[in-house]
Amino acid sequence: MIDKIRSADRRRVSMLTSVGDRFRALPKWQQAAAIVALVAFLYYLPLLGIPGLTWLRTDSIAGGNNWAGVLFVCAIYVLVAIGLNVVVGLAGLLDLGYIGFFAIGAYSVALFGSVNSPVVKWIQQEFDLPPTWAVTWAVCLLLSIVLTLISGVLLGWPTLRLRGDYLAIVTLGFGEIIRIVARNATGLTNGPQGISAIPGPEGPPSGDNKVFGLIDAKPWYWLAITMVLLMVFLVRRLEHSRVGRAWLAVREDEDAAAVMGVYPFKAKLWAFAIGAALGGLSGFLFGSRNAFIDPTQFNANLSILFVAMVVVGGSGNMIGVSLGAVLLAYLPERFREVADYRWLAFGLAMVLVMILRPQGLIPSRRRARELKDRAAAAEEAPAHV
Amino acid sequence: MALLELDNVSVSYGRIEALHGISLTVNEGEVVALIGANGAGKTTTMRAISGIRTLSQGRISFNGEDISRLRADLRVVRGLCQSPEGRQIFPGMTVLENLDMGAYTRRDSAGVAADLDRVLTLFPRLAERRKQAGGTLSGGEQQMLAVGRALMSRPKLLLLDEPSMGLAPMVIRQIFDIITEINQQQGITILLVEQNAQQALSRAHRGYVLETGRIVKEGSGQDLLTDPAVKEAYLGVS
Repeated sequence: MIDKIRSADRRRVSMLTSVGDRFRALPKWQQAAAIVALVAFLYYLPLLGIPGLTWLRTDSIAGGNNWAGVLFVCAIYVLVAIGLNVVVGLAGLLDLGYIGFFAIGAYSVALFGSVNSPVVKWIQQEFDLPPTWAVTWAVCLLLSIVLTLISGVLLGWPTLRLRGDYLAIVTLGFGEIIRIVARNATGLTNGPQGISAIPGPEGPPSGDNKVFGLIDAKPWYWLAITMVLLMVFLVRRLEHSRVGRAWLAVREDEDAAAVMGVYPFKAKLWAFAIGAALGGLSGFLFGSRNAFIDPTQFNANLSILFVAMVVVGGSGNMIGVSLGAVLLAYLPERFREVADYRWLAFGLAMVLVMILRPQGLIPSRRRARELKDRAAAAEEAPAHV
Repeated sequence: MALLELDNVSVSYGRIEALHGISLTVNEGEVVALIGANGAGKTTTMRAISGIRTLSQGRISFNGEDISRLRADLRVVRGLCQSPEGRQIFPGMTVLENLDMGAYTRRDSAGVAADLDRVLTLFPRLAERRKQAGGTLSGGEQQMLAVGRALMSRPKLLLLDEPSMGLAPMVIRQIFDIITEINQQQGITILLVEQNAQQALSRAHRGYVLETGRIVKEGSGQDLLTDPAVKEAYLGVS
């Protein structure tokens, strides 16, 4: 049985790789045209009405969620996956507390942008500002990126000297600490009551907002997908830069990287900070769109889900992890009738992927080679003893 | 003039001391061999010099500068480059990417390109396999790649850890020929650690014998080769 699935999977992969190779073999202008078409399709998705494809929409089933809203969630999860991929896939650090950065991003916009936040109220009092004053959305965007970047460095500074499993445990703790602080530091975060009236691009949520309202999610999706595309572009650039090479070297062999002149700690800290900032950006969009956040929205389950998106999709490959994110966000929405079993199905899927494809659905070629090499080394090892 | 000087260097792993105060010198232009059995502390010595292990005691100076507390990556910038033991190439990177990593600290792209040409001429096998993943190379090719990668940093001192490990006699001779060539034609000083004492000592100007974390003998390569104790312990003749 497993062998049958394996051979089917091998056929699928060779088909995929030949698609990739064929794409790379195309002339530059055709590649560009294909990318433009894909981007156009991504922007068109919320309006999806092509006969034969409408069954994809989540509102095509009874009680299904708003289609554009689901797409928005998919988009911010893709952002999370891209950010976590920098940490896990590129630098090879297992971060099980990524939700912490997501939460910090969301709380940044809430604490500084909402008139109901204790922080804004305190600033109003201190500086004699009117009760309607709050930090504007665009400044909050910068703030949340900067704050998560700093929190990434603060978490990374003492912990990145740890290796492997130890780092995973510490980060798992970090994610929980953020959530518990958000719940208990009532004077700062309103605790379990949460914070409402979180602003969007047009200011605080209100019926007068023409574009970014509470009902129509399409503009939110378009905003999120724009951020995703921008970040894909930036991370791509990073991957092929000096920092990207350092990540790769550190991931493959930390000591060898050090004797090549890479400072592993610095490379890892960069990965952590950039990954954190992307998680923060995603959390920022989440908080901004939701207009209300409370600590229960940031529990440790989500951290695991985030890692699962990266691992299932194909750690190290941006297309792979994006696919992982979309699948894990979209499937439970579209197939609601079985959504009660989602954790069961999810667990089974994880086990299957680990047995059949430890490198993920669309793996990075490099990661696949590393896994192969490690397996070969493990087989050879007894011979050396 | 002494390019590298170890003065009373000790290294510990936890409570266990692996090196008990060793001192050695490598002069500019020399090939120096450090021989010893398994577990004698050869690799630990290398790791102390390249900065992967910290010293518990003693001092290392390179080119007149005390580098005992310097980070490994900064030692590379100073011109000290290690070709690590065994399979420490980057398995997922291609041959070219591996070589490129060797030049990580360099900013002179023209010089890097010239050195890449030189390395590929030195190791034609690597040129043939330039697009192949490092992990798929044979043991000998990986060793060549490790040496070539270290050369790409244009080191003043090249540290070679067990260049002959796990290789066939033919390939070992080839590797040692190249080591001699690098030393004579490019003027790079070499410190090499070896279990293959015969080859190492016959190519080296000077040698040190390491035994359970102490230097027990030193002398010219020829002297050590003919030393009865060395002969018995490391050359398999009694």
